[in-house]
Amino acid sequence: MANPNRPFWKNLSLFFILMGPGIITSNVDNDAGGITTYSLAGAQYGLKLIWLLIPIMISLIVVQEMCSRMGVVTGKGLSDLIREKFGAKITFYLMIGMFLTNMGNVISEFAGVAAGMEVFGVSKFISVPISAVLVWAMVVKGTYKQIEKIFLAACVFYIAYVVTGVIVKPDWSEVLGQLVHPRLSLDPSEMTMVVGLVGTTIAPWMQFYLQASIVEKGIRMDEYKFARFDVVMGSIVVHVVAFFIILVCAETLHKHGIAIETAKDAALSLAPLAGDYCTFLFAFGLVNASLFAASILPLSTTYLICEGLGWETGIDKKFVEAPEFYGFYSLMIFLGAGIILLPGMPLIAIMYVSQVINGIVLPVVLIFILLLVNDRNLMQDHTNGPLFNTVAWLTTVVMIVLTGVLLVGTLQA
Amino acid sequence: MTATHKDFYFFSEFLARKLYHPDGSCLGRVVDLVAERVEPYPVVTGLMIRRGVRGPRAFLPWSAVSRIDPHLMVSPDSIQQSEAPERGGKMAFLREEVLDKQIVDTFGAKVVRVNDLQFLSLESQLRLVHVDVGFRGLMRRVGWKNWVSAVLRWLFAYELPDHFIPWKYVQLLSAGSGPLHLSVSQKKLGQLHPAELADILEDLGGRDRSAIFHALDTETAADTLEEIDDPKLQKALIETVTVEKASDIIEEMSEADAVDLLADLPQDTADEILDSMEEEWADDLRELLVHPEETAGGMMTTAYLGLAPDMTAAAAWQHLRDDAIDLEVIDYVYVVDGQDVLQGVVSIRDLLTSPPQKCLADIQSSRLVTVAPDADKDEAVELLAKYGFKALPVVDEQNRLTGVISFRSALEVLAPDAG
Repeated sequence: MANPNRPFWKNLSLFFILMGPGIITSNVDNDAGGITTYSLAGAQYGLKLIWLLIPIMISLIVVQEMCSRMGVVTGKGLSDLIREKFGAKITFYLMIGMFLTNMGNVISEFAGVAAGMEVFGVSKFISVPISAVLVWAMVVKGTYKQIEKIFLAACVFYIAYVVTGVIVKPDWSEVLGQLVHPRLSLDPSEMTMVVGLVGTTIAPWMQFYLQASIVEKGIRMDEYKFARFDVVMGSIVVHVVAFFIILVCAETLHKHGIAIETAKDAALSLAPLAGDYCTFLFAFGLVNASLFAASILPLSTTYLICEGLGWETGIDKKFVEAPEFYGFYSLMIFLGAGIILLPGMPLIAIMYVSQVINGIVLPVVLIFILLLVNDRNLMQDHTNGPLFNTVAWLTTVVMIVLTGVLLVGTLQA
Repeated sequence: MTATHKDFYFFSEFLARKLYHPDGSCLGRVVDLVAERVEPYPVVTGLMIRRGVRGPRAFLPWSAVSRIDPHLMVSPDSIQQSEAPERGGKMAFLREEVLDKQIVDTFGAKVVRVNDLQFLSLESQLRLVHVDVGFRGLMRRVGWKNWVSAVLRWLFAYELPDHFIPWKYVQLLSAGSGPLHLSVSQKKLGQLHPAELADILEDLGGRDRSAIFHALDTETAADTLEEIDDPKLQKALIETVTVEKASDIIEEMSEADAVDLLADLPQDTADEILDSMEEEWADDLRELLVHPEETAGGMMTTAYLGLAPDMTAAAAWQHLRDDAIDLEVIDYVYVVDGQDVLQGVVSIRDLLTSPPQKCLADIQSSRLVTVAPDADKDEAVELLAKYGFKALPVVDEQNRLTGVISFRSALEVLAPDAG
C-alpha cells in the first residue's frame, strides 16, 4: 500500500491478515510426491542436482505471481478465465487432463499416509480408510477451515529437516559450490529425475488453487503487494525445505551408498545414520504433508472442474443441488484411497503415468496463463513486463522439451 | 435466405463452420454471430468470418446467407463485405459477450454458465430464444453429444435432457472487461428478491459482483446488503462504491445491520461515510457504534417508538401510524418519562384493544424485562427466547432506555448461517 504514513506494525499486521494463500499452496506442494522425489534425488545423485532448485524457484515465483495477479485483477478463478477465453471444447479436455493428473496425486498422497504410518507400525488397512473418511467428513461437515490451521502449524516440523541437515555436518563449502555450479548430463535416468523435480514443484493444480484462494480472500489491487510477498515467501520456504531434504539424503544415504526406492525407505534408512528420532520426524513430516495435500487436492480439483464446466459448487449446498460437485469429490477420495488398499495394484506404474500426464498438462496450463495474463482486455494495465514474459516462456519451453525428452526416452526403452 | 429446413438452430452448429461461395470456394470460417439487441428476442444480423487462423475478421450480413444446410453458403450477388458493427452499441457479439460466460438466470435465481445458444428460425430470420446451460449443450459443444446420449440411452434408458433458459430471464454480466457497468438494462434484476440477489452476489467473481451491485438502486442495494451474511463480502461491496453512494445505501439499511457493517470498515472509511450522512442518522449510528458488536448494546436499534405516560391510546396509535415506515420495532411502544427512564411497555395488541381515551400509563405493563448494554449478546437472546418477546429494551444503570433489540437481530445470533 503506497501510504508512507502507515506505521510499520500496521503494515505487518496487514500482511498477516492477507498471508495464507501462497504459504499454504507452497506447503501443500511439499506433499508425498515432493518428499519422495527430493529424497530420491539426494540419495541417488547426492548434491549434484541441488543447483536445480534455484531456477525452479525462480520459475515457480514467476508463475505463481502471475496467477495471484490475475486473481486480484479479474476476481475470477483460472478455470473460469480459461473457459471464457478459450471456449467449452478446450476447457473440457483440459479438465479431463486435470482430473487424471490430480487423481494420480491423490493416490500418491494416500500412499504417503500409508508409508508414513507403517514406519510407526500402523497397517495401511487401518490408516488409509481412517484418513479417507476423516478428509471426506472434514470438508462435507465444513470444519476444514479450522483444521487447516493445524496442518499449517504442523508444517513447522519441517524445521526438523533443517535441524537434521545441520546435525549431519555437511561440508558447507562443498554444498555451496554445488549450488552455484550447475552440472547436468543427458543420462536418461537423470533426465527423468530432473523432470520429476520440476514437475513435482511446479504442478498444474497449484496455479488453480492459488488463484482461487486469492479470489476467495477478495484481495484488492492496493493490498496486492502483501499477497505478492506471501507468494514469494511461500516459494522460498518450499525450496529451503526441499534443499534440506536433498541435503540430508545426500549426506547420509548417498555417502553410504544406500539405494532407496520410496520415502519410507528413506525414513527407515536414516535411523542408523542419523538417529531414531530422525526416522520418526521424517515419517511424521510425510504423514502430515500427505494428509494436508489429501484434504486440499480433491476439493480444489472438484472446484476447478465444476467451475470450468459450469456446475453448481460449494460445500454449503445440499447434495441434490450440487450432485456433480459432491460426486466428483467423493469419487476422488474413495478411489484414491481404495486403489492403495487393492493388493497387486501397480502403484509405481500409476504414479509414472500420472507424472507423464502432469508433464503434458503443465505446459498447456502455462501457455493459457501466459495468454491470459498478457490480454489487455482482461488485465488492463497489469499485463506482464518483458522480463516476466521471458522467464515464463522459458519455463514453458523447457518444460515442453523435458517432457518430450522423457516421452521419447520411455518409448525407446 | 430461402432454404431453411429446421425451426431451431444452435450456435454450436455455426461456430467454426466453413462458409462457401456458390462457385465452391471457401470464404472463411464463422467465428462469431452478431445480433441486434431487440426485445424480447435479439435478431441475428450477421456473421463474423475469418480466413485461416490469424487472418483478419470480416463481417457478412445475414441477408447474404442463402442456405445453411448441407453447406453454409452465400448468395452470389451479395458478397460485398460491409463494415463490422461497433462494439458496445446495439449490436451484441454473441460469442464474445454471451457464449461460455456466466449469466444470472433471473427465474431460477441462480448463476449459471452458458454452454450453447438456441435460435428460432422464422421468416428467414434467426432469433435468439434460449440459452442452453445443460450437460447436453456442453456435450454438443465438445462434439460428443451423439455418442454420449446414445450410450446413456442404451445403458440406462436415460434421455439426456435439455436445460434451456428463455432469453427473457437472462441477465448478462459485464463479461469481465471494461469499466464497471452492466451492458444491458438491469431491469431483469428487479424480478429478484434481495435475498436471492444476495445469494447470487455470493456466487460471483469480484468484478461481476461489483458490476451488479453498482446497477442496483439504493434501496435494493441496502436490502441486498442486509441479506448478505458474510461481513467480509458486505465490506468488499460497500468499498467499491463512492462515499456518497455508500452513505445513501447505509441510510436505507436497518440500524443494527448498518452498525455492524460500519464497525467492520476501517475507521477512516466509516468516518467519511458517517460525515456525508444526514446528521440525525449519523448521530444515532455513532451512539450505537460505541457498543462492541458482541454485547447487547451492539445488537440494539434506536428506531423504536418512545412515548410519554400521559399520552392517550388514540394519540399513540396515530404516532405509530406516522412513524411505522422508519421503525424497526413496531410490536411495542415504550413508555418513558422526561428523563428517558423506562416506565412500561405497551404491546400493539394492548393498543388495539384499549379504549382510545385511556392513558398509556394505565395500559402499560410495568413488569419489565430488560438487559444492560454491556451484557453479553447471548444473554439478550436467551431473555427474548425465554419470555417469547418480539423485542427487548436495553436500559443503563439509571434505568434509562438506550435502545431496543429486535427479534430479527436475535435470529442472526441464533442462526447465523440460515438463509
